[in-house]
Amino acid sequence: MLALQLLINGLVTGCALGVVAVSFSLIYATTKIFHVAHAGVYTMAGYVAWWTVSRGAPDIVALLAAMAVCALLGALIQGGLYAQLARRRATHLVVLIASLGVLAVIQNIIAAVFTPDILQFPVPWAERVMSLDSIRITYPQLLTVAVSLAAYAGVMWFAHRTILGKRIRAVASNPFLAEITRLRPNAVYVYVVAIASGIVALPGVLVPLDLGLQPYGGITPLLTATIAMIAGGVGSISGAFMLSVAIAVLQNLSLLVIPGEWSIGVTFFIFVIFMLFRPTGLFAAAR
Amino acid sequence: MTAYLQAAGLDHSFGGLHALRACSFEVEQGRITCLVGPNGAGKTTIFNAITGFLRPDGGHVTFRGRSLNGLRPQAIVHAGIARTFQNLRLFTDLSALDNVMVALPRQFAEEPLGAIFRPLRAARGQTRLRADALRILDHVGLADRAREVVRNLSYGEQKLLTVARVLATGAELLLLDEPASGLSAGALDAVMTLLRRLQTEGKTLLVVEHNTRVVQQIADEVLFLHQGHLMARGSPQQIIADPALAEIYFGGAI
Amino acid sequence: MDFLYSYLALAAVYVMLGLSTNLLVGIVGIFSVSQAAVFGVGAYIVAHFLMAAAPLSFLPALAIAMVGCIALNILVTLPALRVSGDYFVVTSFGIQLLATAVFTNWTAGTGGANGLPGIPPPDLFGYQMASTFQLMVLCLCGLLLACTCFWLIMRAPFGRLLRAIREDEHAVAAAGKNVLRAKVSAAALAGAFAGMAGGLYATFLSFIDPSSFDLDSSILLLTMVVVGGARTLAGSIVGPFLLLAMPQALSMLDIPTTIAAAARQLIYGLLLIAFMLFRPQGLVGERL
Repeated sequence: MLALQLLINGLVTGCALGVVAVSFSLIYATTKIFHVAHAGVYTMAGYVAWWTVSRGAPDIVALLAAMAVCALLGALIQGGLYAQLARRRATHLVVLIASLGVLAVIQNIIAAVFTPDILQFPVPWAERVMSLDSIRITYPQLLTVAVSLAAYAGVMWFAHRTILGKRIRAVASNPFLAEITRLRPNAVYVYVVAIASGIVALPGVLVPLDLGLQPYGGITPLLTATIAMIAGGVGSISGAFMLSVAIAVLQNLSLLVIPGEWSIGVTFFIFVIFMLFRPTGLFAAAR
Repeated sequence: MTAYLQAAGLDHSFGGLHALRACSFEVEQGRITCLVGPNGAGKTTIFNAITGFLRPDGGHVTFRGRSLNGLRPQAIVHAGIARTFQNLRLFTDLSALDNVMVALPRQFAEEPLGAIFRPLRAARGQTRLRADALRILDHVGLADRAREVVRNLSYGEQKLLTVARVLATGAELLLLDEPASGLSAGALDAVMTLLRRLQTEGKTLLVVEHNTRVVQQIADEVLFLHQGHLMARGSPQQIIADPALAEIYFGGAI
Repeated sequence: MDFLYSYLALAAVYVMLGLSTNLLVGIVGIFSVSQAAVFGVGAYIVAHFLMAAAPLSFLPALAIAMVGCIALNILVTLPALRVSGDYFVVTSFGIQLLATAVFTNWTAGTGGANGLPGIPPPDLFGYQMASTFQLMVLCLCGLLLACTCFWLIMRAPFGRLLRAIREDEHAVAAAGKNVLRAKVSAAALAGAFAGMAGGLYATFLSFIDPSSFDLDSSILLLTMVVVGGARTLAGSIVGPFLLLAMPQALSMLDIPTTIAAAARQLIYGLLLIAFMLFRPQGLVGERL
């Protein structure tokens, strides 16, 4: 049944988007920066993995390489750019524009090196499919769900149970107090962006297994993920994840009535509804 | 007789911090009332509640018999109440004159259509605005610094400018948040003289102030606030002489 | 000579867009990546009415386009300005992506990905303008009009109000002024400029397609304001003139055509980063 297939596709996409949303939410809640370059980091992950696999390395090495490169890239952006801008007392708008610049640089370097055309992963097992009745689930889809749920659980554990996680939450809730109590927010910011960038590499590698790689394909998932974060309530990791799944499912089910090119409209429509009726989101963290 | 400005049962919490508890007080027209109390007593919170920057969890504020609850800051200025900020919040890249001109009410060409389609009338209006603003700056003693950019003014001059800005709004009740703090002796005297003169011109002032000398010299009445609640009210002599209040003010824990 | 006229005409169009972007980003302080979308709406509306079964002449079509763009900007900024500024980032991206989807897929209205060819040249009061020189003059007139409007509003109390809002909007509210109305008015004006630019662009090129109005174009517009300088008339003029000359300069280097577009966008990105880090006031503007 088509609706069920769409539902499953939505759940899978939603899990991947959920990881994007959770990682973006970590950065936004802590540094307060709307890090649009995150879309570039996400895109970079897929290409690093592709390049590694094309050189003959095992798949797991490719994944780890992607995570490492992205973590490094994230750390570089935060420490080398955002921290510098903060030192120069840049306004919020200036940081946003700089972040957009980074996104443009990353995407276009990738386009120049790897061409703007869609690349497919040369990985044979990516094409294996599991069939139940008329429902098709690909192996990458299964893997995506498993890894995404694991990542979500991992972030929840990290945030609530580890010392670094608690430090991050402390800085996020009161940067001023953190500054004067020697929590060193600047170091924390670099850790957070590095960790979140490493995490976003996971969907960054897994999603293109199904859909192929494209240099400019990062902004739409990021947009959807940020809408999920806002609708779920800034600061709520679970809210971001759950709303991502919800939005992805709605988007896929809407294909029953609306052609695919307009699915961005569905997402945007959901966003507008939330802005009009509940701008603080469903599960906003208590202040 | 309805009070001029009346706060009744104001209550507000910021997360776990109970900033205002059942806070009630009145301000009489034509008087200079000082709001004193230790740090964290809730003085600025009261200002924010009166001027619409904060919606209190409970209680209400009435001005001249009219409820101010739920009004936006702009509406409250139109009702006749204007406030300054403890951290000044002047437009630092603009000149002193511009800072005052922004606050003048009912300007022509404050929107694009008038500015584009009736430029001559806009220019004439500007000349009038400039004259009005200069008059106000002269009133506070800043006429010769009118063209100077705010970041080049001394702290004392900037404080006078904040008073000029609220005067420009035409409000009759002025809420001044620490107008004398951080000033040298000369600038302090200038401010106190100005405040007393404003009173003779019919303005009512509600002033948050820490400096006991200032309070003694200008206040007609003092409201002592502690832990979000009105603890005492009276003349400056009464309040300052009370040993229990002094203990709270100087020695008490926050 | 025709080449010079084309450059000047296009530069005029992009200066109008620069003024529009400068109003929104430089003066009101909204992060906007949807300027090209509004530009496109203006262009498609004018093209539609010039090529309709019962065609309108140029000025009425342009007026409709401007009204449409004003309404679009108001509709978009009003709800977003009532909540946090970051939410407008999402709105702006959404508008741009949605617009590109409409321009590319609504074949009936916009010709789809192939665009709209054969847009007739403008006729003003019965006088047909056909030569490149005449079209350039028309664009320069539009430019003059836009610059005059910009200059007038910045001198007027409205300009002072906007500058104050950019510094401290709560203090402006405390002075009794309606901040939201001022911001939305500025956004509406930005829409008018973008709509006018779109109409002139459509008749000048006589062919429009979605690639001129996509996210990359919005980034170019942002780069023009950043490089030229925010909040000043001079910055809105210098930025577009410089950045329009850049593809010419680049073509002198031997960059293969397959990566030429990516190379241009890469440079825009680098310019954004560099200017934000080292010269946020641009070449002749004020600090962003």
